[in-house]
Amino acid sequence: MPQSEPSQARGVVDAVFARLPVALTVTLCLTASSAIAGDGSDPLLESMVSEVERTMSTLASEETPPYWLAIGVVDERSWQLDGTHGAAGVPSENHRRVGDIDLRVGSWELDNTHKIRDGGWFDSPERFGIRLPLEDDPDLLRTSIWLAMDDTYRSAVRRLIKVKTNNAVKVEREDSSHDFSPAEGIVDIQPLEPLEFDPAPWLDVMRRTSGRFLDYEHVHDSNVTLEVNDQVEYLVTTDGTQLRHQRSRVRIAVWGATTAEDGQVLEVYDYIDTAGIDSIPDEAAVMAMVEGVAQRVTDLRTAPIVDPFIGPAILRGRAAAVFFHEILGHRAEGHRQKDEDEGQTLTDMVGQQIFPTFISVHDDPTLPQWGATDLNGYYPYDNEGVKAQRVTVIDQGVLEGFLMSRAPIEGTAHSNGHGRRQPGSAVVARQGNLIVTADDGVPYEALRAQLIERVQAEDKPFGLIFDDISGGFTLTGRGTPNSYAVQPVTVWRVWPDGRPDELVRGVDLIGTPLVTFGRIVGASDTTAVFNGSCGAESGWVPVSGIAPDLLVSEVEVQRREKNNDRPPLLSPPTPRTLPLPARGTP
Amino acid sequence: MSPIGALLYGLWQTTSVQASNMALPPPDGAMIAAAEQELQRALGMQLPDQPKPYYVAYEFLDGEYATARARSGVLDAFNQDPYRSVRVEVRVGDYALDNRRYEGDFGEREGVSMRTLPHDPIPVALRREIWLATDEAYKGAAEQFSGKAAAREGRPVPAEPVGSFQPIDPVTTAVSRGAPIDGDATVARVRALSARITNIAGLENAEAIARDWSGTRIVVTSEGTRAWIPTGFSVVRVEGIVRTETGTRLRDCRWWVARTAAELPELDEMVAEVEAMTATLRAASTATEERDYLGPVIFEGAAAVELFRQLLPPEISGTPPAERAPDPYSEVDMAPLPTARIGRRLLPEGWTVLDDPAQAEGTAGHYERDFEGVEPQSVQLIEDGVLKKVLMSRIPRARTDGSTGHGRGLGMDAREAMPGAVQVRPSKAMSNQKLRKRALGLARQADLPYVLVVRRIEPPALAEDFEVAFTGDGPLAGLTRPLEVSRLYRDGREEVVPPTLGFVGVDRRVLRDIAGAGGPGDWVGVLDAPNGPRRFSIGSVGGLPAAWSVPSVVITELELRSLGGGQPRTLAPPGE
Repeated sequence: MPQSEPSQARGVVDAVFARLPVALTVTLCLTASSAIAGDGSDPLLESMVSEVERTMSTLASEETPPYWLAIGVVDERSWQLDGTHGAAGVPSENHRRVGDIDLRVGSWELDNTHKIRDGGWFDSPERFGIRLPLEDDPDLLRTSIWLAMDDTYRSAVRRLIKVKTNNAVKVEREDSSHDFSPAEGIVDIQPLEPLEFDPAPWLDVMRRTSGRFLDYEHVHDSNVTLEVNDQVEYLVTTDGTQLRHQRSRVRIAVWGATTAEDGQVLEVYDYIDTAGIDSIPDEAAVMAMVEGVAQRVTDLRTAPIVDPFIGPAILRGRAAAVFFHEILGHRAEGHRQKDEDEGQTLTDMVGQQIFPTFISVHDDPTLPQWGATDLNGYYPYDNEGVKAQRVTVIDQGVLEGFLMSRAPIEGTAHSNGHGRRQPGSAVVARQGNLIVTADDGVPYEALRAQLIERVQAEDKPFGLIFDDISGGFTLTGRGTPNSYAVQPVTVWRVWPDGRPDELVRGVDLIGTPLVTFGRIVGASDTTAVFNGSCGAESGWVPVSGIAPDLLVSEVEVQRREKNNDRPPLLSPPTPRTLPLPARGTP
Repeated sequence: MSPIGALLYGLWQTTSVQASNMALPPPDGAMIAAAEQELQRALGMQLPDQPKPYYVAYEFLDGEYATARARSGVLDAFNQDPYRSVRVEVRVGDYALDNRRYEGDFGEREGVSMRTLPHDPIPVALRREIWLATDEAYKGAAEQFSGKAAAREGRPVPAEPVGSFQPIDPVTTAVSRGAPIDGDATVARVRALSARITNIAGLENAEAIARDWSGTRIVVTSEGTRAWIPTGFSVVRVEGIVRTETGTRLRDCRWWVARTAAELPELDEMVAEVEAMTATLRAASTATEERDYLGPVIFEGAAAVELFRQLLPPEISGTPPAERAPDPYSEVDMAPLPTARIGRRLLPEGWTVLDDPAQAEGTAGHYERDFEGVEPQSVQLIEDGVLKKVLMSRIPRARTDGSTGHGRGLGMDAREAMPGAVQVRPSKAMSNQKLRKRALGLARQADLPYVLVVRRIEPPALAEDFEVAFTGDGPLAGLTRPLEVSRLYRDGREEVVPPTLGFVGVDRRVLRDIAGAGGPGDWVGVLDAPNGPRRFSIGSVGGLPAAWSVPSVVITELELRSLGGGQPRTLAPPGE
């Protein structure tokens, strides 16, 4: 069940959402270099290269030798700060190195990674992560790689035996394309500049801004967090690829929560992602976020709940971006066209009109920014060593193609640079920056007028505007209804009689993809950016969605799942005075 | 709250904060002030038609920890951070019958909640966290109480009602803080120790992990307790893994547990131990495997400690099991039976077992108050081999005299009785030479040319065999694998046995088959938890410290079989 999720709250349940990769940056100097071998400047990279070479030469004489091998490593330093009710938490600093091995035995046509059809619960290829030391000790680096490599190789050989038998037992595959495709080797070793981050000045910002929540009686729980992440990604493959590039990502986030009288827990999360510490917003901007979140939580507490409803709606830009990510983006991922457990909604629709002619969609991970906004979904190379590429998915309503990793599908033999993963997972095709454009967009106010006209024409009591969302998910398999859900935070009820828009709560936007595609009837002439993180088969990867406001002729909403605890029985403790430090600029 | 009420409350609040802050330095002053204020409010909480809390306890845990891991002298991971949390326990009902000691269906709440606390000692921020945790705990307590009442509905009332919770007089102590920790020393320790596992063919892992945790448990209860209880431990664990030419995977470990890093052995002493372990591994990698053994076994030193500390705690910890919801589809009461049974023979005649944490200074098992603020008593558990008394927390049990000051527990778990500093003494101690002679005599009777000597058994926290970890609330249905074993021949010759063996069918009854014992054993520190699955899931550097002093013993007959496992590497190590 792929999910897209920008929101972050506190507690155990947030584990899956807590690590939200944010915007990334790197100043690329694409000067190919082969200066890494043996100069001692990067023992980690040299160890990766030497173990790839040694493994391939040693195992060449085995009965089942590897035909392709890659080692990927992420060396990550991160800092996390938080403030709650005017008090700073313990600032944490972490350093970790995680390594992946992808080894293929068999042939490009059929290898050990091939899906075992109707297999057991644990029929996926086993993965053996590399436990890497934090220090550059060449012996231990190579030993660590070797241990995981040997386990990976033996497991690959065992699985290939099962794959071959599975192919013999089962009927012919619907898609007879190869398991893997060749790619050109790339050498791009970027210089490294370790990020220097001093959390001390930011602690006062955490204190002051989080303390502002205390002025809002009904915001029961809240925090302000700053996450700074500095990553160096390495990849060495038997294609001759050697990559090393660095990216920094920063997220400053504000979260507030309360419990409504009906037991519904209401959470509002706002955040700004930047591609470096120099562009972190100032304290005034963070304070404005706090005040916005606190006020929205307060307002939601007394907002009426909407009953299940079918009618016209506007999805504002960020909500529309998530909407497209769920209804289209996941279904355009290449591996879903091949997997016979998938619904394959779009597999046979290439060249067909599936959206209105004014809609076009492409995925372009090569864009680091959209306007002034850093994009999460930017990357120079994917996790299989293929240069990121702009891919047209929908051109004037017509399905043009799919997002591809190096696993081919019928009709598309090669990768277009969308093979991605979270460390520890196997690569599959994923979205990067999914960009929706609309011809003949109109100003938002005109779009809103169109909404009201539709409400009146269809004799509906009201229309809806989905202003902001916390995330969404979609089901793409055959074993479940092929559907999606988008979880809005801010929904407005728009009355046809001119009454002011009314904030409402307690609904999720649901539907099925093919029906929904055709119900987009209008768009605005401006776009908005959703930065978040998407979870699917290959783990959580940073993504962005860009879309205009969309007018949809008919949406369906259902009641949202809710908690049932009464609000806290006692009134919240309030400060008489807050011993906050003097205001200053971090 | 009315305006006048709010004014009065505000005045009281201000006074209370100032008084506490004047008396105590931060962060204690802020935590106590926050706790006092929220405690008063908490006792007034009441859900419609539900009882108010009769007991509220705030347990702050405030300190600092450092965790370091190294392989072959190279740092793998390191963290050093402060830690501050509050555990809130709310009880509704009364001491005779309250919500606790009841396990509802999966997912049902209990009257306990925990939250981490901010690093800044700002009272209002602390109060907010306490307020939310208390609200959660009270709602959980009300639900748990109703679940317990529903479970009892229509069932016979226990013949011997003992109450739910033992009242105690308020406990007050002086303010105390844990000693600061030295993260650099933690790192240096794991680097030095992991670097000493070297020069063995087939070495695949040379690892050391250590944690130093030092803090204070501050207990504030509605009974009036205001106690500062020092807490912490220092643990070092070392592991070597070797793969033999035939592919067999061999593993050995060393570990040290102390109350503080200062009470650990000197680094030179630990290094010497690691070098000895390395030598044993080296010898084991070329030695002849033992496939199947049935006969007498000598447990020496740390192995004897593991034998007793794995098998004995369920027999000496008196906390009764919690009530459980009845199975609606079965007439059989599935509640676990109490395991500690006074009057049961556990050891041979003449043997004694004493637990006395207060007198065990310098050991990992020493403490002056348990987590409920109760001073530990010296408890003579076993006399003449028979269980006479049991360890108790404030959770009552029939025919006992209340808490013995052994109430401890991890996280949100109940504070249950668990061993602190246990001394096991035989009726008659014999010399090491005589013990071996006795064992060889038993071997001769079993027609064996040698007897197995076990010197080290893996602690449950380091066990790799999962079947041991899922034994539920009952006593351990086995004994973890031996790490160091040798054959002792009649001529005094000893040869190392590769550590591929596992015990078969061991339970507490083997302790009655002890055929001889050596002199008093050294104190050995361990990390453990109260009875239940937690004992096996504390992780390599988690748990609660305890200490055992146990003599070497020979057991008349045990079965050990080779568990085998492993295959040769396809790829040679780098550099070969």
